[in-house]
Amino acid sequence: MKADGGIEGSTDSIESLRQDVRAWLRKNVPAGWRDAMTNVGQDSFVALQKDWFEKLSQAGYATPHWPEGWLGGGRSLAEQKVIFEEVARADAPRLILYFVALYHAACTLFECGTDQQREKYLQGILKGEIWCQGFSEPNAGSDLASLRTRAERRGDRYIINGQKIWSTMAQYADYCLLLARTDNSGPPQAGLTYLLLDMKAKGVSVRPISQITGDDEFAEIFFDDVEVPVVDRVGAEGEGWAVAQATLASERGLTLVELTQRMRYALPMLVNTMRERGCQDDPVVHRDLGNLIVNVDAACALADQYLMKRISGTEEVGDASIVKLCYAKTLREFSALGVRVSGLAGQYYSGFMRGATQETGNWTLDFMNSYNWSIAGGSNEIQRNIIAERMLGMPREPKGWQLAEGKA
Amino acid sequence: MSVELTELQDSARRVLDGAGLAAAEEAIWAQIVELGWLLVAVPEALGGLEAGIPGASTMHAELGRRLSTAPYLPAMLAVDAICQSDLVERDSWLERLVGGELITASLAECGIRANGNRLDGTSIGVQSADSASHILVWTACNDVVALVALDQQGVEIVARPTWDQTRRLFDVRLASVDLADQTILAEGADAGVLIQRLLAQRDFALAADAIGGASALLDLTVEHLQTRVQFKRPLAMFQALKHRCADMKASIAAAEAMLADGLRRVGDSLDSADARHKSMGAKLLATSTFARVAEDCLQLHGGIGMADEHPCHLFLKRSLLSEQLSGSANAYAAELALGLLANTK
Repeated sequence: MKADGGIEGSTDSIESLRQDVRAWLRKNVPAGWRDAMTNVGQDSFVALQKDWFEKLSQAGYATPHWPEGWLGGGRSLAEQKVIFEEVARADAPRLILYFVALYHAACTLFECGTDQQREKYLQGILKGEIWCQGFSEPNAGSDLASLRTRAERRGDRYIINGQKIWSTMAQYADYCLLLARTDNSGPPQAGLTYLLLDMKAKGVSVRPISQITGDDEFAEIFFDDVEVPVVDRVGAEGEGWAVAQATLASERGLTLVELTQRMRYALPMLVNTMRERGCQDDPVVHRDLGNLIVNVDAACALADQYLMKRISGTEEVGDASIVKLCYAKTLREFSALGVRVSGLAGQYYSGFMRGATQETGNWTLDFMNSYNWSIAGGSNEIQRNIIAERMLGMPREPKGWQLAEGKA
Repeated sequence: MSVELTELQDSARRVLDGAGLAAAEEAIWAQIVELGWLLVAVPEALGGLEAGIPGASTMHAELGRRLSTAPYLPAMLAVDAICQSDLVERDSWLERLVGGELITASLAECGIRANGNRLDGTSIGVQSADSASHILVWTACNDVVALVALDQQGVEIVARPTWDQTRRLFDVRLASVDLADQTILAEGADAGVLIQRLLAQRDFALAADAIGGASALLDLTVEHLQTRVQFKRPLAMFQALKHRCADMKASIAAAEAMLADGLRRVGDSLDSADARHKSMGAKLLATSTFARVAEDCLQLHGGIGMADEHPCHLFLKRSLLSEQLSGSANAYAAELALGLLANTK
């Protein structure tokens, strides 16, 4: 493997891509987007995301992971990494409103969809249609496979009844990647089916969740006899679990490269707060900051190494869990130090920035937002189970324990 | 990792596993000399393997895994300093070292000053000084790097027993040692550059050693939890303990990634400011990770961890010393923070 850039492109072409992306971002990142997202309604956030999506996608930087032939597509993983790194470096907004569409939906369709489905949905994604994910349920979080939303086959349709939760930006979504139960008889994973659901269909209702930060970027989705044509099923009936794994694997470690680097670029925010609070000469704060710096650097190194392993095909079981766990823990430490340094001033309410930006310098907000990464996408506890059981070979807890009658 | 390096690592692991944990210093040192491990980072033109600092790092990690008692680290610094110098007798010095003569060095802060043509002060944390012929010294003002013979007038060696039973440290006191009688490796600006290079190497080496130690101790601990049965199940089945092991595994992986990343980015520019920064970060994270891992692993061993016959305490004591060697964890954390403050406008 080459020292930088990986095996999929020459170092020169990688470097020239880096310069192109950097120059483009310098011209195009919306000036003052952080202020424009602070203490505004959700509609302002959505408008900014739409503008940013249009710019990025027209430049081909929103879809580098799509196959050759699609706008901006056919980029190697090493090239995609460069784009993510530069986006972090330029402190560009994260494209979170479109993330499920561009990665989860598109990659699932490329990998597991039919030609008809690809034709029907992919152009729409390029035009800015928004997708959300309907996986988690109130009683199926870490234990996702126990989900209960039902899909009953009637002729050429499935009839959906149930509820999903923690669906990012579902209130703005055009379509939903839905994981529903078609069979109760076997093990939990076996009876799941993967469907593409039109959010404008009759019987769909969405309720945004008012979060502890004041934001409402997640929503609950309720399905009341919603019809989904059988042609909108991805994979075979009962094969939904495998399709969902393809969905979740679609971003291939790129997000954590971006997020860890964003955290590193945000370290000066802590320095600014130290200066504002007059504790830039406090040796106790210096020690905490120094220890944080090395943890941030290590998280970057881990995310980078993980992506290099994916590029060279040497990823091992548990590697992804280690990166995710380290990032989540370091982000918590990062924002917690911000809270400590900002003192009482940090406790005065000053509103919030929208859009799940992890580092805003409003440290109490950032601290609360850091739980997004220690809970969502496999909580720290789930990652620890994976590391202990699958990397260290420690035994699973015995099965067969039953909840007492009438408890659930 | 290159094929040669992988082979070297495999053979190192075989040899060290055969010798056992914290094996006798003379025996391990003899193996190191015989198997040519001192040549790992030496350029091919000088008869070495030219595996660079990544190669050396691999060896330090393997030696760390087995709590090596041998002064490999200071000897490697001496080898590198000699290779970097333009001494006329460079080859013969290398031959002597490769033949088993030990030149040691300080693993701690520098306390030597050059006063005109005299060297004064105390070099602390010097490993195995009683079996060395010379000490590699550098001055606090970064103006001289020299090899000082230990059996001369004005040199006193004082043993400093440590809690760590796997390394033997000494103070070496220099009183009016005449510079003209010593072997000068670098002076003036050249000395400053060479010292930067040596400090970066020392920190990367301590980091690798700590990662090796922490990994081996975690393996040992998981093995203990797998075999120890209480409440009719192996301790390894309890989630409370599994999660602690998972956290340790993740921390060690982070320190390892940081070291590898630092070595990759620094490449051959070991004397750069960036190398200093990355080596300090790697050392701080790896040695504090080792110390936290050792702290928790003793707890996870329960009563047997308090018994001298069990090796758990050897890891703990080594980790506590490593955290204080070179720059202490607190000092390095503060220095890295001040670096960020200075670079933030």
